[in-house]
Amino acid sequence: MRLGVVKAYILKEFAELFRTRLIVMVYLMPTMIMLLFGFGIRMNVTHARVTILDYDQSHYSRVLTSKFEDSKYFDPMVLQITEQEALRLIKQAKTEMILIIPSSFEKHLLHGQKSEIGLFIDASFPTRATTMENYVQGVILQAASEVSPQKPQSGMISINSRNLFNEAMRDENAIVPGLIGLVLLVAPAILSALLIVKEKERGTIFNFYASPIRKHEFLLAKLTPAFLLHSVNIFILFLWATWLFDVPFRGSFMLYWFSSEIYILISLGIGMLISVITRSQIAAVVLTVIVTLLPGFLYSGIILPISAMDHESYIEAHLFPVMYFNHIIYDTFLIGEGLSAATNRLYLGILVVYAVILLVLGTLFLKKELK
Amino acid sequence: MMFGLEVRNVAVAYKGKSAIRGVSFKAGAGEIIGFIGADGAGKSSLMHAIAGVGRFSGEIVYGGETYRSPAEAEKLKQDIGLMPQGIGLVLYETLTVGEHLEFFASIRNLKRTDAFRTYRNKLLEMAGLSAFVDREAGKLSGGMMQKLSLICTLLHRPKLLILDEPTTGVDPLSRRELWEILDDIRKSEGTIILVSTAYMQEAAKMDRVYLFDSGEIIAGGSAEQLIDSVREYTYTEIPCSEKQRCFSFDKRSYSLAPLDVPHAEPTLEALFFVNALKKGYAMPKMELEARESDAPIPDIVLEAKALTKRFGEFVANDRIDMQLRAGEIVGLLGANGAGKTTFIKMLLGLYAMDGGELLLLGKPIRSGEDRRTLKAKIGYVSQHFALYKDMTVRENLLYFAQMHRIETKKALVRIRKYAEALGYRAYLDALPASLPLGINQRFSITAALLHEPVILFLDEPTSGVDTIARAQFWEIMELLKEKWGITILITTHYMSEAEYCDRVVLFKEGVKVADATVETLYKEHPEAADFEEIFMEYYR
Repeated sequence: MRLGVVKAYILKEFAELFRTRLIVMVYLMPTMIMLLFGFGIRMNVTHARVTILDYDQSHYSRVLTSKFEDSKYFDPMVLQITEQEALRLIKQAKTEMILIIPSSFEKHLLHGQKSEIGLFIDASFPTRATTMENYVQGVILQAASEVSPQKPQSGMISINSRNLFNEAMRDENAIVPGLIGLVLLVAPAILSALLIVKEKERGTIFNFYASPIRKHEFLLAKLTPAFLLHSVNIFILFLWATWLFDVPFRGSFMLYWFSSEIYILISLGIGMLISVITRSQIAAVVLTVIVTLLPGFLYSGIILPISAMDHESYIEAHLFPVMYFNHIIYDTFLIGEGLSAATNRLYLGILVVYAVILLVLGTLFLKKELK
Repeated sequence: MMFGLEVRNVAVAYKGKSAIRGVSFKAGAGEIIGFIGADGAGKSSLMHAIAGVGRFSGEIVYGGETYRSPAEAEKLKQDIGLMPQGIGLVLYETLTVGEHLEFFASIRNLKRTDAFRTYRNKLLEMAGLSAFVDREAGKLSGGMMQKLSLICTLLHRPKLLILDEPTTGVDPLSRRELWEILDDIRKSEGTIILVSTAYMQEAAKMDRVYLFDSGEIIAGGSAEQLIDSVREYTYTEIPCSEKQRCFSFDKRSYSLAPLDVPHAEPTLEALFFVNALKKGYAMPKMELEARESDAPIPDIVLEAKALTKRFGEFVANDRIDMQLRAGEIVGLLGANGAGKTTFIKMLLGLYAMDGGELLLLGKPIRSGEDRRTLKAKIGYVSQHFALYKDMTVRENLLYFAQMHRIETKKALVRIRKYAEALGYRAYLDALPASLPLGINQRFSITAALLHEPVILFLDEPTSGVDTIARAQFWEIMELLKEKWGITILITTHYMSEAEYCDRVVLFKEGVKVADATVETLYKEHPEAADFEEIFMEYYR
């Protein structure tokens, strides 16, 4: 290893990155993905528009209605219209739910008889519909228990759920740490994919072919600038997560930092392999986006926990590095067990092995000759 | 005599297609070896093999070491310098001249001694780049880029220097300077220099020349020996008739059978023609019909009055007057960066004018509508033959026809007609990348002619194209002038081609310095032996 040679290449890379303004992409893209997805994805429901048809106009029905009015999850409208008219509202997308309180509601309850409340939900978005249904049930149960605390509510299911690790049930806590795993997989890979193929497309790759510079010197020189520049993103993304999105951080920062650096090496390795096999920048970028963004998003644990996946998707999830990294990331942000948990130690080990394999493969596939 | 370099039975194949077959030759210290031959004859493949950047079979011995693969050549790369084909190919656009030298010195791990600094400054001086150390490579002219590439390749004092068409697309002035550098280096360093070139005057200066044809070396020796071998087939120019197997180009005619005219002194270009005759290559007979449109072309087709273009402080074209007449071939000459391409782009309506006036067929060009009219009357063949490489020749041509709103039926008829006339019918369904440059050049011309323009602009159409293809190119130009009576404006770095032009316009640093017929210029410079010397007069 001749450091002077490597240094010259590194300086050249830095000069080019800055002068071609590629540096803007290095810092703009991760933050953009973070802000877009961080604000864009919402799993829980607030301000659902519910139309309440109160045919009973009793004390109990008003108690129930006021519960909806007090809730931040609902924007209720109490209307005196027919069911048909209300259904038209839902079709026109002017309301998302219709809650119908029957005329004998209070009477039935006082007599300990079963009472049926009608509920129509716009289920165009099934997950949102399910969530809204659960909320409505919750509100009704709560109202019922306040009205008659001593009376056992027979025939009604009492739901006693407690959310672990994300007690506040905040979307940010569930999504933002996963986004770090997505961003740090996509952005460094795109940069490193461009680095070698750019020289192939331009013709400057001849400087590498025709000079005595070794393969590992060349790769070291190519990857170092990308690695250093993206290492800064580890801190930037941490700040966005904890400061902008207010996600708690309960684990060890050192573990977060170290595993992220390993993870960036993996991402750079993927980009480098693509750069070695492709011939044009456009092909390299498209291929990198497909290989990193899609699995990065699917198996990040943002949409679906890996443990909830079955067969094929479970195997696929284990093939991509994002699952292992995100396990550690979610731990450092939300749980804080760190390296005392065996799974975390195992997954960190897997990441290291992953990085080593990719970098070795890159060195093997890179040829110092024209194709 | 001890040989420094020995190439033994080297063959190169790409995807099963052989590029070079069983080539052997030797070269000694301080020798300059020239490679000449048509595009695709295998010169580059051989150079890549010797430089250790491409796989090959056979063996190469250099400095006592034998190598059979790029991996085995690795240990010799400190002594080898390769400058691949393409203007500024190995340069990084955003790095300055000084940074390039720093970078190339570093990747060769050179010690920054006083001797190094002296040598570096000497190279900068020789290349005329001392004043441009802080300029970014992307902002240099083509000739300067090539000179920078060359001194970057020379920086580590290679003992084996391999230069693939270093002078293609470079103006005569820079070419001369490049050669002075090379001559100096080989004398002072004893470097073996292998260089391929499309300029035969350059080849004539080399110690030995090898002629490549279809992957083989078919002739080799000193320029005198090679010229002697074709002397008996070279005659003064006569029009070749249909029956005679003969070629005519550049004041000479070539024929294997005796002709009834006196012999003429051949140049190395004769090698190409004699070889083609011996191999029985058919030179397609070009025929062109009159234009379909019968709209008359006025005498003055295009007129530029005090046309000016500025890029910031820099004046690229300074008050240029020019008249282009019907049935006239005008040659636009000048050094790299003299403003030729800028001028053509203004005439094309691609650059806005910063001053002056442009008249097409007597009408001034002002509005966007005027510019569209302008474009419909102009045919343009760019430096790089703007063809789509994923479409066949026919598909490419059809696409260009549709851009000019020519009906498909009519377009197909015209395409077939031109393909026949210009002799590339057999290639209509091939992809451009698989065809020789000469064929691509001919169908690029067709693409520019499909809409029957009244003016045709060609920007360095013959750069890097082999001699025979150039001869055919000029035959097409003559036909166009004769049968269509249109105006042709052409830029070239081959000074011998100026003689095919009715009029020559010379640019220097954005200013027009000459505008006259070739005869007039010869009269004004009686001491000049050829047109290149006249050109040099203006740049002295």
